[in-house]
Amino acid sequence: MTGAFVLDKTSILDRLGGDEEIFTMMVDMYVEDLDSNCEALSAALVSGDVSVLRREAHTVKGLLATFSDDDGAAEAALVEQNASQGIVADQAAAVAGLLARMRQVAEVLRAG
Amino acid sequence: MHNVLIIDDIDINLTLIKALVLKLGECNPLLFDNPLAALEWCRSNVPDLVIVDYMMPEMDGLKFIAAFRALHGRNEIPVLMITANDQKDVRYEALLGGANDFLTKPIDRVEFSARARNMLSLRTGQKFLADRAEHLASLVEERTAEIREREKELIFRISRAAEFRDPETGAHIQRMAHYSQIIALGLDLSLEQQRLILEAAPMHDVGKIGIPDYILLKPGKLTVEEFEVMKGHARIGYEMLKDSRSEIMQAGAEVAISHHEKFDGTGYPNGLKGQQIPLFGRIVAVADVFDALTSERPYKRAWSLEDACKFLEDGRGKHFDPLCVEAFLAGWEHVLEIRQRFRDEEAPQI
Repeated sequence: MTGAFVLDKTSILDRLGGDEEIFTMMVDMYVEDLDSNCEALSAALVSGDVSVLRREAHTVKGLLATFSDDDGAAEAALVEQNASQGIVADQAAAVAGLLARMRQVAEVLRAG
Repeated sequence: MHNVLIIDDIDINLTLIKALVLKLGECNPLLFDNPLAALEWCRSNVPDLVIVDYMMPEMDGLKFIAAFRALHGRNEIPVLMITANDQKDVRYEALLGGANDFLTKPIDRVEFSARARNMLSLRTGQKFLADRAEHLASLVEERTAEIREREKELIFRISRAAEFRDPETGAHIQRMAHYSQIIALGLDLSLEQQRLILEAAPMHDVGKIGIPDYILLKPGKLTVEEFEVMKGHARIGYEMLKDSRSEIMQAGAEVAISHHEKFDGTGYPNGLKGQQIPLFGRIVAVADVFDALTSERPYKRAWSLEDACKFLEDGRGKHFDPLCVEAFLAGWEHVLEIRQRFRDEEAPQI
């Protein structure tokens, strides 16, 4: 079980060269794209297609890493890794957890 | 302004990279969320830097790089590949597959700026070298053309020098050279060969420089002995030109020694027969005789065109190579144009 997402704005801004404008733009886009990204991940699980699930998990991993959510990115990496080994159906719980994590991150980002 | 191509199927990444590219300055970011569309764009456009994500649905970054590198002229364009931190194997594969460098996710602005600037500096250097190479190539071409022009002028003046000792006119040289080119065209010789004979034919009588005045300028008929001396001009012309490294001079040497050979072997200086006579010699024989016959000289009136054509036709297989006569007559309209263009009163430059 991973810990709750804590926004480390300092480290993110540090990575972005202190650019608040880019940070705000990324937050807005993450929140805006949340539903479509969640739907894509859910659909990948339902499709049973390992390559689709692997790709969607990879995308989520990148998104969460962008906001320095190392724990969330690690969860996504696990789903990606399992998918690359041909595992799909047994990942329902992991995907559900990942979806919850994505929404949680959005909540925290919205709260600022 | 650098055109920076950014390919990533995730909007947030495209937006982030675009923002970072704009911060570099002097950059025009071009965004594609589909690698196939990006590749299509690259077929008719040349970016200065490509930033491509690894994992994309239609085509992954490695395949994109391979396809991009396969396009003509895209082999040197810098490519940055974006991979996750845990994809060391992919990074190796990318570097081996044509990526110049890679970026890791999450993207760090300092790292991004440094790597992107390095790639753009590389591109600037490439462009500078390409421009310089192009500039040097055009300079070489310009100088070569100048040398060739000088060579042509030199040949024309050498030929003129021979003319001053001979009743032939400058216009004769121009006409017979162009007639030779018409025959070369009719024989389907290459454009290069057509140009070569045009430039070399004027030297056919250059050896007359070495013939004593009392023979060369004798108004009456030459004695047998005098004619033997006169025939020497073919070999003298050859000796004058044969050792030159110039292709035109070498062709001129061949023309000089062979233009008085006859197809049936009764010509001079070597009595060569048929295909033994160099092709340029067979061509110039037709062109030179036709123009000599149809030109007025202090000692003779000009033949009519009909009579001169009949002379050529009658001489097929005897004096002349039948194919050369045929090629000459096939280009009759051009022959008339040349006659009109180069009249004896005024002789324009080649």
